[in-house]
Amino acid sequence: MAMEHKAFLYRDIDDFLSVTVPYLKDGLANDQSVIAVVPEPRLTALRDVFAGPGQPIAFVDSAEFYRHPVRTLRDYQHVVKQSAPRRVCALAEPVWQGWDERQTLEWIRYESLINVVFASSGARALCPYDTGTLPPRVVAEAKRTHPLLLSSEHEGLNHEYVDPVTVGTACDRGPRTGRPRDAEYLPVAGADLHVLRAFVGERAARHGLPKRPAQNLVTAANEVAANALQHGTPPAGLWIWRDGDDVVCEIGDNGFWRPPPNPLTGFIPPETALQRGFGLWTVRLLVDLVEIQAGWDGTFVRLSVSRSASEPAGA
Amino acid sequence: METPWFAERPVGEVRPGDHGWLAYSGSEERDQVIGTFVREGLRTTEKVVYVTDAPAHRLPGVGPRHGIDVDAYSRAGQLRVISRRDACLDRRGGFEPAMMLDTLGREVDKAFDEGFRAVRLTTDYSWLLKPPGPPDLARMLGCEHRVGDAVSPSTMAMAICQIDRHALRPDELAALRDTHEVLVEVNPEYDDGILKIVRTFEPDGLRLEGELDAARHSVFAEQLAQVSTDRRRVHLDLSRLGFIDLGGLHLMARHATGLPAGEPLVLDHLAPDVENVIEMVGWHRLPGLVRGGRRTSPDPEGIT
Repeated sequence: MAMEHKAFLYRDIDDFLSVTVPYLKDGLANDQSVIAVVPEPRLTALRDVFAGPGQPIAFVDSAEFYRHPVRTLRDYQHVVKQSAPRRVCALAEPVWQGWDERQTLEWIRYESLINVVFASSGARALCPYDTGTLPPRVVAEAKRTHPLLLSSEHEGLNHEYVDPVTVGTACDRGPRTGRPRDAEYLPVAGADLHVLRAFVGERAARHGLPKRPAQNLVTAANEVAANALQHGTPPAGLWIWRDGDDVVCEIGDNGFWRPPPNPLTGFIPPETALQRGFGLWTVRLLVDLVEIQAGWDGTFVRLSVSRSASEPAGA
Repeated sequence: METPWFAERPVGEVRPGDHGWLAYSGSEERDQVIGTFVREGLRTTEKVVYVTDAPAHRLPGVGPRHGIDVDAYSRAGQLRVISRRDACLDRRGGFEPAMMLDTLGREVDKAFDEGFRAVRLTTDYSWLLKPPGPPDLARMLGCEHRVGDAVSPSTMAMAICQIDRHALRPDELAALRDTHEVLVEVNPEYDDGILKIVRTFEPDGLRLEGELDAARHSVFAEQLAQVSTDRRRVHLDLSRLGFIDLGGLHLMARHATGLPAGEPLVLDHLAPDVENVIEMVGWHRLPGLVRGGRRTSPDPEGIT
């Protein structure tokens, strides 16, 4: 069953409630699995409307749920699977404050990926966008990432919708910064990556990454390096440096990534570890940002981890 | 929990002065450990003294299959099998610790006189603890303390005391274990300094220590396949595995999906870094893998 993914452009809390409350009630009336992921203070406003013993709506604070787009996609997929065979009716308002330019792009890509990951799930998602406070650019992108649109001027099919590959391509188009001169280098050669792990772990700690994110970076770098050794063309190497609050690790080799990666590569959660793409998807889960550059001069995979983000592990 | 004060050692690394302990779960484990102990002693021209009522050719680790000619070693005086009656039983057939100590002392002196550089002593005490009589634990504890006192300062004697772990309650087993300084286990199936793979017997499976990565996938797969015969449920003890790569998870899941229908591969005692990666991807993405026991602190031999 096709999914229903609708952006809802609202002006104020009354406007917000006038649409979301009937939406959630409709989900309940149709015996759907209803989840409302909304930031405060709207979360409390909705809770108040539905307060009562045994009310079946799962209320979640967006500030908890929207921290890392790849993990959020995984978590929504979990909700859909847990709810089956019932359809999911989700009210899903992402967080748009506090991200830098690159993170904002990743959340735009995320909204677009919803259309791919849940294409045949039968889920319904209504995504509220606050036109009063959000930057016009975020609202404009919402129109490119939602096939359905509800606003004061429009209801129904959204003619500005763009397919996810096109959206993703635009997200990847940004200028790629070079490596700083003080990046530390380690050649990647031979089959044994023990030295590489020790190198990355030690540098990550020295650059101030807490233990868990440092270990996640080690696992991710190990995976990318193992791929470079298995599928790439020597010489392969690893650079690591600090960029502001991020620790960045880049693994490169001289080969061409075949088939060439597209903007969806590694974003779609695999069913199991036995499927193709499990490795890269997990790498995307483990670190904050993965950027792939597959070009004429080789394949470069850049992994970034913030020193300050504290991310609870697991689903 | 206090740090254990005993050393854990594969049987191949038992050395003079070691008063070793083996609580075995079954004959397979006992034969592997004691068989190695006996065989390596004979091959390195150390003396082997075995207190048992079994005939020499029935000892673990010997016989034509292992390339050990029992009769030749016996004739040469390198292998000595002493019956319980001669070693440690009084006239009424009761266990006499003082006699056992005398026997050990005499055998060590004799081995020295014969020019052996080391002597390996072993016996299975399980018969003492099994019915009809009640297990005389206090007597055994006293005996073991004295054996320890005799062996530990020695520069040529090493001993392994065998006990069927099912012959005693866990607290009794722990009390007896604590009279030994060295816990003996099988030699690792593989150890390259980064990854160590050790066979476990109760439950059946493997213990992984160190780091599992692409360079070690094939050796791990091979060991996993070997232990997965005989239609038994296989457990992997991951309490000492500090790193697993994503290919390692893939390998385990692929192995598990090849097991007979519904038979899982059980992952016990996950170390935090490995558990974190598994929870990150979700257990449901690792078909056939299930979480087994949880243990936060090391528990040598899994007695408690």
